[in-house]
Amino acid sequence: MIEWLNGASHRTSSFTMADKQNAQKSVKIATGAVVCVESEIRGDVTIGARTVVHPKARIIAEAGPIVIGEGNLIEEQALIINSYPENIIPDSEVEPKTMTIGINNVFEVGCVSQALKIGDNNVIESKADVGRNVILTSGCIIGAFCQVNTCEVIPENTVIYGSGCMRRVQTERPQPQTLQLDFLMKILPNYHHLKKTVKAGHAAS
Amino acid sequence: MASLLQPDRVVYLVRGEKKIRAPLSQLYFCRYCSELRSLECVSHEVDSHYCPSCLENMPSAEAKLKKNRCANCFDCPCCMHTLSTRATNIPAPLPDDPTKTAMKKAYYLACGFCRWTSRDVGMADKSVASGGWQEPENPHTQRINKLIEYYQQLAHREKQERDRKKMARRRQCMPLAFSQHTIHVVEKYGLGTRLQRQRPGAPLSSLAGLSLKEGEDQKEITIEPAQALDEVEPLPEDCYTRPINLPEVTTLRQRLLQPDFQPAGASQLHPRHKHLLMKRSLRCRKCEHNLSKPEFNPTSIKFKIQLVAVSYIPEVRIMSIPNLRNGKESQVLLTLTNPVENITRVSLTSCEENDPDEINSTAKVLVPSKELLLAGKDAAAEYDELAEPQDFQDDPDVVAFRKSNKIGFFIKVIPQKEEDTDVTVSFKIRHDFRNLAGPIRPSEEGADTAAEAIWLTHHVELRLGPLAS
Repeated sequence: MIEWLNGASHRTSSFTMADKQNAQKSVKIATGAVVCVESEIRGDVTIGARTVVHPKARIIAEAGPIVIGEGNLIEEQALIINSYPENIIPDSEVEPKTMTIGINNVFEVGCVSQALKIGDNNVIESKADVGRNVILTSGCIIGAFCQVNTCEVIPENTVIYGSGCMRRVQTERPQPQTLQLDFLMKILPNYHHLKKTVKAGHAAS
Repeated sequence: MASLLQPDRVVYLVRGEKKIRAPLSQLYFCRYCSELRSLECVSHEVDSHYCPSCLENMPSAEAKLKKNRCANCFDCPCCMHTLSTRATNIPAPLPDDPTKTAMKKAYYLACGFCRWTSRDVGMADKSVASGGWQEPENPHTQRINKLIEYYQQLAHREKQERDRKKMARRRQCMPLAFSQHTIHVVEKYGLGTRLQRQRPGAPLSSLAGLSLKEGEDQKEITIEPAQALDEVEPLPEDCYTRPINLPEVTTLRQRLLQPDFQPAGASQLHPRHKHLLMKRSLRCRKCEHNLSKPEFNPTSIKFKIQLVAVSYIPEVRIMSIPNLRNGKESQVLLTLTNPVENITRVSLTSCEENDPDEINSTAKVLVPSKELLLAGKDAAAEYDELAEPQDFQDDPDVVAFRKSNKIGFFIKVIPQKEEDTDVTVSFKIRHDFRNLAGPIRPSEEGADTAAEAIWLTHHVELRLGPLAS
């Protein structure tokens, strides 16, 4: 009898948890953002204004929500994923960590980004791999095919390039891709259907 | 099993000054001497200079003047990539009316790979797209030039004395022509020709060709010897306590690419002009015929003369290897490809007991004793449906398959050694070669004479891989 009661209470608590998760598992796209329908966005993702998400881009929020700022450019086959470390789902409920991405970042084709905190004006070039414990400040450029999975804060204006991941500091941050963003926001709707924008903060009822 | 097709699996032996074993794709064939040649037994000569990024041709004299560097292209001092010129619009005051500002184009150099820009070292933006960038001057240029002149004079004097001695000894070769030839050869080719290499104790002979003409009155150049100083500049006081700013320190490679300055800090790394590449032609040392001569145009990859070994010698390739066990006989499938257009007869022989060439083999090999016939290479065969397939009576024990100019055949391998190294076998391949390049003698028998066939023998070594565990 006692077991049956415990089972029932367990079921009710899990019911409310699922309800909460369902409420949060929505994609909030701000007005002015261009998100193609062919992109795969799962979980609790917030996308800021003037951000362009190309088709076949993947933004997956498994272990926590993802908040993407304004003016970002996420190209094809880019993968922004907030997943459990080493894909091991913990048995007990762990506090979900939010992944924040600032403004004017560029995620080039085929890159994989798991960094929890990304600042502004960063460029992650094609096929680069950024690990979960890396924190990108602003103005950083992760070169093509560079795999950065150290546990550190990358200082501002750092360029990581080459097969040996050499580093150097540049004197000026990369320019925001305003021209490219404007062009894409005009052209992409001509060829792709876009996901509907939902005002951020709108409670999913 | 793409690893079986790796070029270094099958090597041919080149009998030159040194015994070199190289895959057939890296060898040349001198059809006048009828022998294989490798890169080490040919002389390399510079054909032309060109810039790899703008593909601009440059005559050798101009290249020497510009120190073998392109005038238009720059290299990134940080990652050695080619720099590209980028333009920005900056507001600049109009020359007529200082109060108004108009947008003017300013150009700077930027690297696409490591994002280095010319603004990083403090170089101002230029208003012209090309030609405005200057390399920094070396403060020691004057002293270096003076030293070079002095040593050139010294070398010239030494060479004249040596030539005079040779003339006095009355050698067989023409004395004057010899010394003229020396100058000509040294001037055009520099180090690397036979004449230079036979004088190992000769210093500075390479500079001798660059000096003034013979007979011209040369004024004596004297140099002050370098003076040794007692006092050296002391180290800065905070040398041990100052924290190192790692991004500012240059790597050894970056530093040594600019031997004039060798800057220790990244903020002094200036871009340098791009190095020119050269096209080279190869010449057989015995008969002085050209083996490889590229086209003059830098954009063309073709050759005027291309005597590569793969177009004359049948090529052996490994097709499949069974599990090799020590002491047990296994059958290995090899392919032979015929590169020429007429039928070639190939016979294989295993190496004798005390063959001096056989040093690497770790297994005994039994090759087919019969002669193998290879059909000619016919480029139009695949389009010609009416052609009757040629009938060769192939022994199915020896020949596995036959496909246009290629056959597959079996050899039996008995590994002898139990070690961990790869099983290597070697055998001799003997084929007939028709020299179509020979002089066409007026034949008495009519127009039917094909060129004389000569038999060539090559020593082939195959690396079959490790023993199956």
